[in-house]
Amino acid sequence: MMTEETHREAPSKHEPIEMILARLLFVGSVIAAILLAVGIGAMLLGHGDVASRLVTIGLVALMATPIMRVLTAGLIFVREKDWLFALFCLVVLCALAVGILLGHAHVE
Amino acid sequence: MPTLTLLFGMPMRTAVAASTISIIATSTGAAVAFLHDRLTNTRVAMWLEMGTSTGALTGAILAGYLNQRFLFILFGVLLAYSGYNMFKTRKAELPGEVVPDRVSRRLDLGGSYYDRLLGKRIDYQVTGTLPGLVIMYFSGAAAGLLGIGAGIFKVSAMDQVMHMPFKASTATSNFMIGVTAASGAVVYFARGDVKPLVAGPVVLGVLLGAVVGARLMVRMKTTTIRKFFIPLIIYTAIEMIYRGIR
Repeated sequence: MMTEETHREAPSKHEPIEMILARLLFVGSVIAAILLAVGIGAMLLGHGDVASRLVTIGLVALMATPIMRVLTAGLIFVREKDWLFALFCLVVLCALAVGILLGHAHVE
Repeated sequence: MPTLTLLFGMPMRTAVAASTISIIATSTGAAVAFLHDRLTNTRVAMWLEMGTSTGALTGAILAGYLNQRFLFILFGVLLAYSGYNMFKTRKAELPGEVVPDRVSRRLDLGGSYYDRLLGKRIDYQVTGTLPGLVIMYFSGAAAGLLGIGAGIFKVSAMDQVMHMPFKASTATSNFMIGVTAASGAVVYFARGDVKPLVAGPVVLGVLLGAVVGARLMVRMKTTTIRKFFIPLIIYTAIEMIYRGIR
């Protein structure tokens, strides 16, 4: 998965945010892909109940990934004392939370 | 989504739910490759996500109160105009010298990535920071009001208003769409619109496709990507105007 990393920027004391988020999204999509694939396999073998449960967990993992990504980015900005960007993440999280609580989907 | 309803004759809500989760799959699957290549500008993304997420919320609340036909035509015309602008700059591999505005300097939005095809590091600056945020708000609202994936507006805004390199615009837009889609998907899920046996295979396919597609894109020329993008914009614009007039 790692690509050539010779073109890094000047080293900072922390790992760059892109690499941390890339790892998070990678782990999220691999977990989702495995659960979906196993679930679909179970479906083909006729284990409908197990299949449906596995696929559902896989879909939930995938849905949680972008939200975790905003949360993680916010925590990274807090660690770097980049308060303005931490606040931006908080605004986004609040908008998402309100949207979910109101039950308004963005497509009707 | 039209494919799902037309070809497989499934209920609209099931199709919408599956396609929303597919957007997350596209975003997440492709983002890994884009982040590794530093194409995604995470600072620009966080700044603009404030616009898309609050816009999507506004759009969802206002949906039903505004005239959909008029909005389809309005956004269709805007899109056609942005397609025309992109056509004019189709030969440009990279934007010229960009002078960052004050907000962009304050937020340190400039970026840098290694272009595999050109074999060199591209350093770039970002301008039009506030207009960019306002456009993102409206593109988010359009997504909420019309139920369209507004990624196409996002790329245009970053490319034409903020003068980001095209590859960075597409990668950053892709990074952002997952977040708005996730909040919609949670709502569908809570409503029981997500049918695992329908969504599962679709989403898995899209996820694998996104991983492969992103690896191809980082190796492509900007002018080649634009050649795919311009017809897509024109097609979407025509479809939207048609939905408004029909």
